[in-house]
Amino acid sequence: MIKVALIGNPNVGKSLIFNNLTGGKAHVGNWPGKTVEKKVGKCVYKGVEIEIVDLPGTYSLTANSIDELIARDYIVKEKPDVVVDIVDASNLERNLYLTLQLLELEANVVIALNKFDVAEDLGYEINVSELSKLLGVPVVPTVATTQGGMEKLKETVARAAKEKSRRRIIEISYGKKIDELIAKIERILQKDENLTKIYPARWLAIKVLEADDEVLKIIEKSPCVQEIVNLLPEM
Amino acid sequence: MQKKLSELKTGEKAIIIQVQGSGALRRRLLDMGLVRGTEIEMVRKSPLGDPLEFLVKGYNLSLRKMECENVYVEVKQ
Repeated sequence: MIKVALIGNPNVGKSLIFNNLTGGKAHVGNWPGKTVEKKVGKCVYKGVEIEIVDLPGTYSLTANSIDELIARDYIVKEKPDVVVDIVDASNLERNLYLTLQLLELEANVVIALNKFDVAEDLGYEINVSELSKLLGVPVVPTVATTQGGMEKLKETVARAAKEKSRRRIIEISYGKKIDELIAKIERILQKDENLTKIYPARWLAIKVLEADDEVLKIIEKSPCVQEIVNLLPEM
Repeated sequence: MQKKLSELKTGEKAIIIQVQGSGALRRRLLDMGLVRGTEIEMVRKSPLGDPLEFLVKGYNLSLRKMECENVYVEVKQ
């Protein structure tokens, strides 16, 4: 069985895609201990069962809201085989921010470029293959309202699940000075195998610099914490 | 001319210079694309002047007046 998580900004058509893929049959419950709805559905593609979890709609993956934390924890800890990032093609710039965060989390991302018809109506010309090349992940144009692109999406997800180990990780540059700091913190964190088993070291390093509350709590328990504190004058 | 985002007039365009404040609100504004250098236009105000509607990065965004108090912009001529 392939485990797939759906994620995206609010109002990108995430629920519609979820319903299209699962045929509207979902188990609805709550995330453990939280009053946030959790929807799980299933679909079958060429004999392979795909379990689909609908994550809360978020603009980013910080520790500032319960929705974002749920989404982030699910991706980091449950490690779904594929994360389908639903991107509003008519609002690329804002939506791609979440995409970059998913790539930094080293998730196995497939992009569903939804509302592709709306983008075309607005006169946007999106070079899908170039976008896919730049981000290093597959991109599938979809129109959820008419079920457009759903078969292609399933096919791409099934393929991405198989090719998991071959995915390319792109590195986003934050400028020379910050990149150097990230690299330093990353090297320190890599010594703590208990941490890097779960979290990507570079992602942790970036979140340390962002002063992400949850990540700082995690780092505090690591034996590396003193070495990172020693770097503080440089931050 | 520098202003707070909440002081923009209807139809006025500006460039975001700074998002002040702290915590979740500042973070959410940044997440939604209100970052330094971004163009933002005041589209309209609701009858009582709060909330306000803006056009930013090609989408419409409604904000409470209070939420715009921490965003500083440079008005475009």
